[in-house]
Amino acid sequence: MKFVDEFRDPKLIRAAAEEVRRLADPDRHYRIMEVCGGHTHAIYRHGIKNLLPPNIELIHGPGCPVCVLPMGRIDDGLSLAERPGFIFTAFGDMMRVPGTRGSPLEYQARGADVRMVYSPLDALRLAQENPDREVVFFAIGFETTAPSTALTLMQARALGVKNFSVFCNHVLIVPAIRAILDSPDMRLDGFIGPGHVSTVIGCRPYQFIARDYGKPIVVSGFEPLDILQSLIMILRQLKEGRAEVENQYSRVVPWNGNLAALRAMAEVFELRPYFEWRGLGFISQSALKLSAAYAEWDAEVRFELPGVRVTDPKAAQCGEVLKGVLKPNQCKLFARECTPEHPVGALMVSSEGACAAYYHYVHRAAAVGR
Amino acid sequence: MVRPELARYGLGTLDLDGCVTCGDIAVPVVVLEVAGSEALCEDRLGQRARVAVDFTPEAAPGDVLLVHLGVAIARVGRETP
Repeated sequence: MKFVDEFRDPKLIRAAAEEVRRLADPDRHYRIMEVCGGHTHAIYRHGIKNLLPPNIELIHGPGCPVCVLPMGRIDDGLSLAERPGFIFTAFGDMMRVPGTRGSPLEYQARGADVRMVYSPLDALRLAQENPDREVVFFAIGFETTAPSTALTLMQARALGVKNFSVFCNHVLIVPAIRAILDSPDMRLDGFIGPGHVSTVIGCRPYQFIARDYGKPIVVSGFEPLDILQSLIMILRQLKEGRAEVENQYSRVVPWNGNLAALRAMAEVFELRPYFEWRGLGFISQSALKLSAAYAEWDAEVRFELPGVRVTDPKAAQCGEVLKGVLKPNQCKLFARECTPEHPVGALMVSSEGACAAYYHYVHRAAAVGR
Repeated sequence: MVRPELARYGLGTLDLDGCVTCGDIAVPVVVLEVAGSEALCEDRLGQRARVAVDFTPEAAPGDVLLVHLGVAIARVGRETP
């Protein structure tokens, strides 16, 4: 497995960790946020945290779309699942996310026709195969996922499939980063930028972070060496007093993103004036809805939804964890009432959630004495 | 055929797309043949699937694509088809 070893070579990793230690000023405490849930998992899975000096703190960002979705939106989507003649479709990782009256799987157990799909294109095929049923797709995800929903809707329109609709919960990573930078209880020194989101949007949208906030951001790959190299690049910028957007993951991420995907998104979606994020509150222009040209396929236009705001269980501190103010194990419910088997908040459900990562790689390891 | 070289672009495989809603999961595959806006592709374990190449219209046999939810979102390299 030569090509995996390239990014997991212990010798290279030790050298990179040594370089991180060399660059870090011992008199300074660094707070660096990894924006994306994929990085959070890689950091725990590979034990990267243990290679870093204690004055480099990695803060987990809001990069899991399931985790940031307020419960009211889940309830709205699931209200369609119980209607006669409807087929409710969602990705596998939505299936265990709790709404007020249970998760999609629990709705299924109560008799609703809930089906897991791998791609929104599968949901469209389901609609074509069931012309007498209404098929609703629960769309969720950042800019990596939005193009596949856009493509599905363009195909639905081209094929004239009328019994298909999308309940759109796509969110955008850039306004979330801006909200975090504007948050008064948050002090960060730099960002490890998302990898695959950036294959779609490119690196340009992050320029405001360097220009307006004076913080470095390095778009990073997911292997241990990628993450350490990104940290080296951030620390070098800080040491030299620079704040720039740099691309560590250039073997995958083009500077300008994917223009065909961006064009499709521009045709199918428009910005919502504001959208509620769990933990971050309402953020203006931070989410997508279907454009007027696609209103016929917009579940929010076609069907009446409850639209009720639901507050999180009081004791759960998902919001503080999402903002990086608390570590997962500092939440009162962590590993007590809230576990991957019985999640209270979405951060414990989704495998990319900071609490699930912490539970699997830190809490359990401590429990077995590793 | 098994293609360890694809691990350079990520360890995802077509049967296991991890937490798919997270923006940061994508599966590297090699294009075997293109038919219209679909391509037959193979991942690092030799598993095959048809993926939409609407967003990588230049995709040709031998190209390495990153696939997210059945849709190619980037062309990242070349290998033997």
